[in-house]
This record gives sequence, C-alpha cells and structure tokens, in this order.
Amino acid sequence: MRASPRLTYPTAVVLHAVSRGIRYGFDIIDASGLQSGTVYPVLRRLEDAGLLRSSWERVHTAREEQRPPRRYYQLTGAGAETVKQALRRYPGLGHTLGRRGITQPSPA
Amino acid sequence: MRVAGWLVPESHRCEWTAEWMGELEHSWRAQQRTGNTGSLARAALVLRCFGAFSDALWLRRRHGEDAMFSNDLTYAVRTLLRRPGFSMIVILTLALGIGANTAIFSVVNAVLLRNLPYEDPDRLMMLWGVPTDGDSAKVARWTSYPDFIDLRNQSVSFDQLAAAGIPDVTLTGPNLEPTRIQGAVVTANLFPTLGVRPAKGRAMLPEEEREAAPRVAVVSHALWQGRLAADPNVVGRVITLDGVQHTVIGVMQRGFQYPNDAQLWIPLVPDRNAQRRGTHNLRVVGRLKPGMTRERAESDVATIARRLEEQYPEDNAKRSARLEPMRDAIVGNVRTPLLVLLGAVGLVLLIGCTNIANLFLARAATREREVAVRTALGAGRGQIVRQWMTESVLLALVGGACGLLVAHWGLQALMAAAPDTIPRAGEVALDKTVLAFVVSISLLTGIAFGVIPALGMSRNLTINSLKDGGRGATAGLARTRLRKVLVVSEVAFALVLVIGAALLIKSFWRLQQVDPGFDPERLLTVQLQLPQARYERWQHVTGFYSELKQKLASTPGARSVAIAFEHPLSEGWTSSFGIAGRQPSVQGLEPEARVRPVSPGYFRTVGVSLLKGRDITDRDVAGAPGVVIINDAFARRHFPGEDPIGKRIERGAWWPDMPNSFEIVGVVADERFLGLQTAADPATYFPHAQFPMSDMYLLVRTRADAAAFTAMVRREVWALDRDLPIENIRTMESILGESVAQPRFNTSLLGLFAGVALLLAAIGIYGVLSFMAAQRTNEIGIRMALGAQRSSVVRLVVGQGMLLALLGVALGLLAAFWLTRILSTLLFQVSTTDPGIFGGGALLLSTVALIAAYLPARRASRVDPVTALRYE
Repeated sequence: MRASPRLTYPTAVVLHAVSRGIRYGFDIIDASGLQSGTVYPVLRRLEDAGLLRSSWERVHTAREEQRPPRRYYQLTGAGAETVKQALRRYPGLGHTLGRRGITQPSPA
Repeated sequence: MRVAGWLVPESHRCEWTAEWMGELEHSWRAQQRTGNTGSLARAALVLRCFGAFSDALWLRRRHGEDAMFSNDLTYAVRTLLRRPGFSMIVILTLALGIGANTAIFSVVNAVLLRNLPYEDPDRLMMLWGVPTDGDSAKVARWTSYPDFIDLRNQSVSFDQLAAAGIPDVTLTGPNLEPTRIQGAVVTANLFPTLGVRPAKGRAMLPEEEREAAPRVAVVSHALWQGRLAADPNVVGRVITLDGVQHTVIGVMQRGFQYPNDAQLWIPLVPDRNAQRRGTHNLRVVGRLKPGMTRERAESDVATIARRLEEQYPEDNAKRSARLEPMRDAIVGNVRTPLLVLLGAVGLVLLIGCTNIANLFLARAATREREVAVRTALGAGRGQIVRQWMTESVLLALVGGACGLLVAHWGLQALMAAAPDTIPRAGEVALDKTVLAFVVSISLLTGIAFGVIPALGMSRNLTINSLKDGGRGATAGLARTRLRKVLVVSEVAFALVLVIGAALLIKSFWRLQQVDPGFDPERLLTVQLQLPQARYERWQHVTGFYSELKQKLASTPGARSVAIAFEHPLSEGWTSSFGIAGRQPSVQGLEPEARVRPVSPGYFRTVGVSLLKGRDITDRDVAGAPGVVIINDAFARRHFPGEDPIGKRIERGAWWPDMPNSFEIVGVVADERFLGLQTAADPATYFPHAQFPMSDMYLLVRTRADAAAFTAMVRREVWALDRDLPIENIRTMESILGESVAQPRFNTSLLGLFAGVALLLAAIGIYGVLSFMAAQRTNEIGIRMALGAQRSSVVRLVVGQGMLLALLGVALGLLAAFWLTRILSTLLFQVSTTDPGIFGGGALLLSTVALIAAYLPARRASRVDPVTALRYE
C-alpha cells in the first residue's frame, strides 16, 4: 500500500463515480464531464495507491461485440473508506454525475 | 493513438494501447448502434483521444523516463536557436495562421457552439406561422393572442408556452429625458419558460396579466445601469411608460435581452386589439416536455393549427405552424457565412503548414548527416522521430502562443468591422474553449508538419551518408515525392479559396450594381412617434406633421422634406385590398400589398420617379376623394396590359370620416423594400392626410451633408413639442451600407484569406522548385557541358513546376466544383459554378505558378558547367 494521493476534486469525482458502479474510463468521462486527459491519470494514481483495482472484461463478451476487451476499475476496501472522506469534504459530490453512459461490467 | 503510444514507457505500452483501443472501439460501436456517427460525434471521439497524450506523458513521468524527454527538449531548443531565421519564419507563419483561426473560431464558438444562456436550451422551440401552400405573403410568422391561448390550452407537447410582443415604449419620469426604448409585452410565464430569473426583485405573476391589476415592469440590467442611474432602490420605483405609471418589480440579469434587444418587460394585458385573431403580432416560444421530440411536438401544433384554420377561415386560412429550435432561430442567418469563413481560414492555415512542412523537409535533407551520426551512435529510428516531433511541436506551441496575441488584436478588429446583425456578438471572447482550441490546433499542426519529414526519412541510413558528406541523391527520393504532393495540394487549396472569394466578390459587385430605386445621397431619416395620450385625434396628428414639414422646408439647408410611414429599404407592413369591379376574392385569400402613407413630395424627396399620372398633392385631404399611387410591381401584377390610372382600390376605413375607396392617380418606379437582393413587391402609397398614422418618418433631402442637418431637425421638432423623443436619426447612405454590411464583411474577409493563400502558395512553389533545382545542379551542369541550351534548361525546370501546378489546378477545380455549393445561399445572381470565375481562377493560379517556377529555372540555367562539375 502506497501513500494515498491528494484528494483533489477530480480525484474525488472519479472515485465517487467508480463507487457508483461506473467502472470504465470513457463511462466515467461521460458521467463526470471531466476531460479524458484528467480522468486517466487520476485512475492510474488511484490504482497505484491501492484505492482501485483494474481488470479486463471477459474476452468472449468483447468478441461477441466484435471489439477488443475493455479494462474496468473496482473499488478496494481502502478506496471505499476514501469515498466516505471525499463525500464529507465535497458534500455536493452526490449531484455531479450525469445519467449518461452508466454500464455495468461483466464479471471477469 | 500510435503517436501517443510512443511516449508511453515500453513496459506499459501494450497494455496502455489495449485499454485506449478497447474504449475507443466500444464507443464507436455504441455510436454506430444508435446511428450517431455524424461528423460531430466523430470529432468528439477524436478530441477525447487528445487526452491520451496527457495520460501517456503522465505515465512517462511516473516511470522516471522524463529525463529523456527533457533531453529532447533541450536539444530541440538548442537546434532551433542555432537557426533563428528558420525558426522565426515558422513561428511567424504559425502565429498568423493560428491567430486568424482563433479569432474566427472565437466568433463561431460564441455564436454557434456555446449554449444559449438559458436553462436546458435544447428544449426551447420557437413556434412560427407557416403557409400551407408556400405563399408566405398571406401568413405572418407571428401568432395572434387568441391563437396563442388556443395553442397553449390544447397542446400536449410543452411544459410551458409563452408569448411576447415587441412594442417600442416611451420612458419618461422625473429627472428622465424622454426616451424610446425597445420594450416587450410578455406573458408572465416567459421567464420560467426560458429558465431565467431576475437578478433583483421578482418576476411577473400570472394575475398581473389582468386589466385591473396594478401596472408593473421588469427592467434590463443595462437600462437600470444607464437611464435609471443604477438606483439601488430601483425595485419599487415608479416609472412612466407611454404616459402610464408602472412600478419596477425586478431587474434582469446582465446580458439577458429576449426578445430582440428588449430593455423592459411588462405583462401582456390583452386589450381589444390583442383579442383580434387577425392581429398576428406575438412571437411564441415553448419549452418541450422532457423526452418530447421536435417532430412529435410539430405534428401536435400542426393538428391544432388545422383545427383553428377550420374554425376561423377568415383569419387563419392556409395557416399552419412549425417549430424551430430557438438557437437556430437566433443564429440561423449567420451560420453558413461563419462556417465558410472558418473553413477558409482553416485552409489558409493548412497551406501555411504545407509550406512549413516543406521547410522541414528541406531541412531534413540537410540533416541527413546528423541523423547518420546519431544512428551510428546507437539512436533508434523512434528516438530520432521523437526528437524531430519535439522540435516541431515546440515551434507550434510557441507559434500558438504568439497566435493568441494575434487573435486578441484580430478579434478586436474583426468585431469592429463585423455587421451589427451578428447575433450574440456581446458573448464573443477568448475563453477557455478558445484556449483549448488554440492548444489543440497548435499540437495538431506541430504533429502534422513534424510527422511528414519523419515519414520521408530514409529507412536505410547507410554508412554512405557518413562517408560522402550527405549528398545522398537516392535517399531524398521519398522526400522529393512528398514535397511534390505538398505543392500539388497547396495549389489545389489556394485555388478553392481564390474561386470562393471571387464568387463572393462578383456577387457583391452585382449587389452594388442593383438600382435601389431611390437616391440615397444626402437623405436624412428621422423616426417620430406621437404618443396617443397627447395626439388623440387624427387632426392633431396631421396638423403636427404638416406644420413640421412646412417649418423644415423653409430652412435654407433643406432641398425638400417629406413625411412617410417607413423609409426606403424598410419592410413596413402589408395589408389586403380589393379592386373595384372585379370578382371579390375568397375571404382570407385577398391579395396583399405594402401600405405606405406618404405626404406630398415624398417621391421627389427620396428620388423615386413618377412613371405615369400625377403625384399626391396638398389637395388630397380628409374630405377629398380618396386617391392612391401604386408602384410598377403592383401595376404589372394586377393590371398587366391595362392602364391602371382611374381604377379603384377598396379597403376598409381605419378612421371615421376617411375614404375607403381610392382612385389610382399615378404609377411610380419600384423602390426596394426588403434589401437590395429582393425585388420590390406590389406597394400602395396613400396620402398621409387620408391615412393619418401617428408613427412616421421624417425624410429630408439636404443641400449639404445630411448628418449635419440633425441639430436643425431636433430644434424644429422640439420647438413644436418639447416632450417628443427623437430616435433613430440616420442617413439613408448608412442604412444602405448596413443592408449590405454582411456580404461586404464576408467578401472582404474571404478575399483577404484568398490573397494570403495565393501568396503562400506562390512562396511554396518557389521554395520547392528552388530546392529541387539546386539539388539537380550537377545534372544540369552535365547537361550543359554536353551542349544543352539555356532555354532547354529553363523549359526543364519550369516544365517540372508547371506539371505539379497544373495537377493542383485540376484537383482544385474539382474540389471547388464540389465545395462552392456551400456558398449558394450567400451568392446574388452568380452561379456557384460560374465558368468565367473557374477559368479565371485556374489561369491566375497557373500564372502565379509560372512566375514562381521561372525564377529558380532562370537561376539554374545560369549555372556554370565548370563549377557544377568541379563540385561533383
């Protein structure tokens, strides 16, 4: 477990999005309205810090749709704790996510 | 993605690429499934890819590889500083190109891209009246109050439907100079419909739409800050509007001005006039229910309109309804010209980039030895490409930063020159979106002209490059081919721009040749509106105007004076009529003509010639028989092959004691009403004394400069009535100028861009041919040593250049043929494929190419064979 990243607003938004079941990079971008150049580095930092864990979706699901598999992110226990902190620090966080692009990942 | 992938540390590259490709493919397939594959959706996806660069750079830093990157950067800075001339040319070209693009993009961003400043603006729709048979003369775009109420009650598609009328009102009050301001009478739900709230105080309440309610008004931020002197206690203050006291209940937010440029909003209290179904004077805006589509809502309102047409055929014959997104209604007219300008300025940047890419290619050739040394020392191809990209991106970013400065000044010049008709002009600014645009466009151009020489780089850098000092004739083959492709495309782009600009210039010239039907020189127009409270009877109205006319006519500066309802080039309004002795038309389908009450001397004053019969005289007054003068368009439409003089026009009397049948006593030439582009439609000129409207224009033909006569007009008007507001004093020349301001603006900008494009293309051809000729110095030397004439050398080099140029011209003609159709709505009496212009453009480009090719050819022919061979 590495040092926790600074809980900036974009970090909080991304973490909160994953906690709400929005687990793919582009879906997080769609739902949060953040730029792709912001969301991905945040995801990498959160994964490095052990707050998120990433996996690849099942190959045959992707193959059925004739596309490569997607990588998705899940909250770890430490991550769930941090989401609580984030909600305390940014009380408006609950209203930041739009309704677009929310999809559930298929199990790995 | 591949380019960004190079930045990612090798250990992560595979996974990184897989993740981004997975997301992109998934998004693209999802878009395909929903049918959302338009250019906007693609562009959004491409924009998203730019984030991959940030991601890649972050990963790079994270894994400690930034040292190499900063080495690249240092090396790039040193290389560029070593050749300041080269760097300056590139930066200057980019600064101008990016600056011009940014300036135009800022306008496009504010006018077309940014959301309207209302809540959820995509759901806002304007409701327009449209004719079911396509004949728009009979059906007003606006809606009557009773129709509006029926639509509001019966429609199921809208959350809210609100109406607004736009009368001018006179604001008076203690310590206030009387002023005419643009007001709006609105239904109380207008603000909730748009989703806006007053910044101070409150909005109107539905109960304030009743006759008995206390009179209230909401004022604009500008009116509050201006005429009301930023009074902190403005809410609750009493102001007088058209002689009636109103209490100010609120101040709107800064910048809010719907409809039109409204400065003040009062509740719509339906009076007797508003209750008439035939008075179509309200613009209706609605907020669609969530999830409701425009098509379904449109069929809903069309059904109601059909019902109303059946119920009230006399007022609603052939009347249907159409919805238009509010944004389109506001920006509709300027969308095409703005996008054309953006496209044009984009092409200029592309041509500039082509030149820069050529410079880079030329430099790449001279750097072959450096590349060979670095390769020999162990640098990979990827590292060298990255180094070159760093240089080009660095140059592009510096160019972009300078471009931002250019954009700042360019935008000021642009907005000063832009016609007043550009909507939302107040919102134009260099904001975050524009900055993002500058950064993206700089990166894109940097990558574009950095990648090109890298692509041309020889794959087999052999030891030969090291050995013989980089003469490598064969290694440059790929680059030479690329350079030719660049020249061909440059010529093609420039030709497209030249043809586009020439079409607009010809169209503008045609517009200038149109005879407006009147003489705009030294003609002053002044709007006067007599308040009903003090000019209750028509005798007061005609008395005031004839006295004013007499007084002004006797001043030495005035050549002639007239009073008229509206002035030339002004739309005014139309009304229906009948012709005596002819079968009456079906009710609701009578013919229409423009109605222009005028005083004696109108035609002489504005310079419209009398073709037949007599002018209106001082004897054509209230008690005398009704007379009317028609224009030529009226005579041609309704009396083809007949003499209209002596025929009678019948229409209802609007005032008691006024005639309702009018004898045609004269025919005048056509003056244009709807701008120079539109031919005059039928018009009827009634004597003002028999049609005594109170809101009129004063027209003065002056002996000297018209604008200088303004003070005299004010003095004489205020000598008669000290409380009368005088608004809208303008010379006819400025009105005429404004009517062609938009085409003039488009034409001058596109002309400027085409000129720059032509110059850049010429420089490009010259540069490439000079370089190629210089590379062939040895060959030319040998040829000349073997007896070749100078003329044959010139032919050789010029021929090579012209082949490229002509290929470019052919492609350009094809592209222009396809692209100029976008201009069709902007052209006046010019075909989008005007053969003269296409031929002339091709000739111009070929001539420019010939000159640009001849100069290096002449130099090549002067090569001394001995020197050339000794060099070998």
